Amino acid sequence: MKYETVIGLEVHVELATNSKIFCSCSAHSYGAQPNEHVCPACCGMPGMLPVVNKRVVDYGIKAGLMLGCDINRTTTFDKKSYYYPDLPAAYQTTQWFAPVAVNGLVEIETSKGKKGIRIKQIHMEEDAGKLVHDIREDTTHVDFNRTSVPLIEIVSQPDLSSAEEVEAYLERLKTLLRYARVAECEMAHGTMRCDVNLSVRPVGSNKLGVRTEMKNMNSIEAIKRAIEYETARHIDAVENGTEVLVQETRRWDDIKGKSYAMRTKETAGDYRYFPDPNVMPVVIDEAWFESMKNSLPEFPEVKRARYMQEYGLSEYDAEQLTKSIALCECFEGASAVCGSPKDATNWILSEIMNLLNLRQMTYDMLTVNGKSLGELILLVSNGKVGRANAKKVLSAMFDNPELSPEKYAEENGLIISNDTGLIDKVVKEIVASDPKSVADYKGGKEKALMALFGRCMKTLKGNCDPQVLRKILIDYIAKV
Amino acid sequence: MKIYNAKKEITCDRKIVVDDMILTTDMPTTAGSKMLDGYVSLFEAEVLTRAGNAGYGVIGKTSVGEFAIDLVGETAQDGALIEDGILKSATAEAIKSGDAICAITLDVNGSVRRSVAQNSLVSVKPTYGTVSRYGTIPVACSGETVSVVAKTATACRELLDVIAGHDDKDGTSLPETEIAKVSETKPVRRIALLTDMTKGVDEETSARLDAFSKKLTALGVEVVSVENSIIPVSRVAWNILMSAELCNNVSRYDGVKYGYRAQNFTNIDELYTNSRTEAFGELLKTAIIFGSETLSTENYMKVYDKALRVRRVIVEEFARLFADYDAVLTPACSMMAYPESVRADKYISYKENFYTAPASITGLPAVVAEGAQLIGKAFSENALLDLVALCEKEGK
Amino acid sequence: MDRDTLRRLGMLNQLSLTDVQKEEIIAFFDERESEAKAELDVIDTSDVERMVHVMPVFTVVREDVASQPFTREALQAGAPETDEGYWCVPRVLE
Repeated sequence: MKYETVIGLEVHVELATNSKIFCSCSAHSYGAQPNEHVCPACCGMPGMLPVVNKRVVDYGIKAGLMLGCDINRTTTFDKKSYYYPDLPAAYQTTQWFAPVAVNGLVEIETSKGKKGIRIKQIHMEEDAGKLVHDIREDTTHVDFNRTSVPLIEIVSQPDLSSAEEVEAYLERLKTLLRYARVAECEMAHGTMRCDVNLSVRPVGSNKLGVRTEMKNMNSIEAIKRAIEYETARHIDAVENGTEVLVQETRRWDDIKGKSYAMRTKETAGDYRYFPDPNVMPVVIDEAWFESMKNSLPEFPEVKRARYMQEYGLSEYDAEQLTKSIALCECFEGASAVCGSPKDATNWILSEIMNLLNLRQMTYDMLTVNGKSLGELILLVSNGKVGRANAKKVLSAMFDNPELSPEKYAEENGLIISNDTGLIDKVVKEIVASDPKSVADYKGGKEKALMALFGRCMKTLKGNCDPQVLRKILIDYIAKV
Repeated sequence: MKIYNAKKEITCDRKIVVDDMILTTDMPTTAGSKMLDGYVSLFEAEVLTRAGNAGYGVIGKTSVGEFAIDLVGETAQDGALIEDGILKSATAEAIKSGDAICAITLDVNGSVRRSVAQNSLVSVKPTYGTVSRYGTIPVACSGETVSVVAKTATACRELLDVIAGHDDKDGTSLPETEIAKVSETKPVRRIALLTDMTKGVDEETSARLDAFSKKLTALGVEVVSVENSIIPVSRVAWNILMSAELCNNVSRYDGVKYGYRAQNFTNIDELYTNSRTEAFGELLKTAIIFGSETLSTENYMKVYDKALRVRRVIVEEFARLFADYDAVLTPACSMMAYPESVRADKYISYKENFYTAPASITGLPAVVAEGAQLIGKAFSENALLDLVALCEKEGK
Repeated sequence: MDRDTLRRLGMLNQLSLTDVQKEEIIAFFDERESEAKAELDVIDTSDVERMVHVMPVFTVVREDVASQPFTREALQAGAPETDEGYWCVPRVLE
């Protein structure tokens, strides 16, 4: 008999906010000292009251819209109770009764073509702390930096049927959420984590098999291996009766390449949800909803097509630019200002990419704004700043996104001089100092001219229109 | 006297006490529980900052029953306060003795109102959301309110004026525009005496209620006896909501981050269970177990959700009454003194809160004076206090 | 309410109950149950919406600004056990 795998995912995504969801502690736990970003509220002390971070709701709405969801115009928070050392108040504030977004649809593409994956809901909640087990043998060390960092949990319907689809789905979520600038979605940083619900059934059957859940998967490769292993285990159990499948939570050991049933308590799953009396319902009015909707970017493929059609970019260039919303925004801003999409593309795909690499920054970390880049491109094309000096300006723009390229160039002596008197003087000096090159050039060696030209340009610190310099140089040599 | 002394010398003449549910940074806050023995908060309650800025000085803290859900504080970890076989409240004693002119307390389950009624003091439990709960030990957050106790309505009013106001740090704090409604005081002219709320009271309590009612009538206030079968249901619904919220709020005390930790344990569950079992008292444990069960998957709709719906029924019933009356009059307790023997029933506060639950579950303002309780419309606390002040003036 | 459910509730809430307490709690539950039946269940709430918050206030939010006014040392001053800046518990098996 042939079997198909039925997979539903619960994906936890850390939202890219400055502060935590209910208190003002920094939300950036990655790389911090243990318990550095903690306050009485997020280490479970009594007396502080939760006040919702507005940006979390903004991002919840944006994520919902990006994933094709309906937004619940009144969304509420609830408490979920259980004891575990990573949960300092012994309850997690989450959304049980009225999550921010429901009924979405995400389109994925695999080798088998396109497919829609339905989203059941997206809810906002606080993250738990981190447990460290490798400092002392008998002790678990508890770090609350991550406690109350805002998350969204994206719950899919069981519409996925292979590791390939799961990978495509996770990649799609990552792309869309990064495009909306709500999350980093980096599994290696723990800013995207995944619970996999899996069962098998004979092809053509409508009845779902026994479902097992693997929690907290944090690499796509591990997820793929786990799905393959679990699928084989389930089919083996159904086909050959090797074991009796039970609905349970399993832990994936990626080193051994096996999943194990987790020891569960009798009381597991009894979370006693109830509405949080301390958090008032959040009502998303028309103005708020519209402003979130209007702030969303086009989907990457829409942008790509438009860049080719509207700006005349090659497929390759369009593909490269649309890899990151930050590149897109920079490109669109620069093109509008300088009027040359081709120049903007070249600057971004060469100089900006170089600087990002040099500074070990991801595309999304680009802060150079498109308007400034456009101004810089104009300075070059209008002959006011030389290309080499323009790169210096761009580097300064990385350090300070507010910087005005023209002002910076002026203040740092990077503007091309139209003072032909100065150029004449420099040309005279250089020609006089290098009679051999002059003779070589006159003897037909074009390269010798380039050497003279380069030395003049260097003495002029690049601040001169290359065309003007070239003409003055040739004219002068002809005279001597 | 169950007052923990403040470390600093208090020289001001506006001396106050605060009960042990209000967080202080220079004295421990224990919520009457062994669990928090010696616990010192890193921040102080917003109400204390406001009172301090207005020249009030805290001379000490008054003990409360464990998480303030008992009768008058008798389940405090340092023992019940008993004099001549009568249960006393530390807060009431501090005011009666003149040690402090006012007290700031957290009214969770009416224990403040009961002891105020029994000691002929005055207290005001303001409209929910008008006084910040930032820096109070959370128990039953949907209904508990910071309250003020004093000898007179005027003294209550002065302190309440200082501590009321919007606070960004409390997500349930009302906007200033709403809180301003307390100054739009319309005098109280018609009062409904809820006859169904007087059941179970002893003769003395009944007599106090009558006397107060007569005094009000003499002042030109119309007091009408009204039957109502909905308001008395408050207790049963409130007990469910209070216990469930309590269960959740005290789950944070587990022996890990601060507070009491058991000596003996071999794993995390034993650490949790032994710490909580050793540090919590019996009433609290029962409340936790009961609250937990009301939230179980099986009971949620039947019990907890039902209580939330009944809360709305009660709120709407009050609104109907307030269409005809400016306030309602009820007792605050069933007897004018609790003999020590009432403790034979460990769970007596789950019954005796019959009188205080209506204001707790609705968040309506309640003023206790002359051994009786006035419950008013939202934001009418000043009107209620004015009326009591008028009574006080007449009495002189 | 029976003893086994009570044992489970004890576990759920990390409380260990003596037999005497269990008897008392069972009686407590019986009383609560009968009064709920007599007083709450008789009220028709089929058309009534639940009321979590007594005041009609919505959308209380704050701006996304981070601050760190409390030090780890202060937060851990009253901790039963800490090590290298962490709170400590007996090893939790993974």
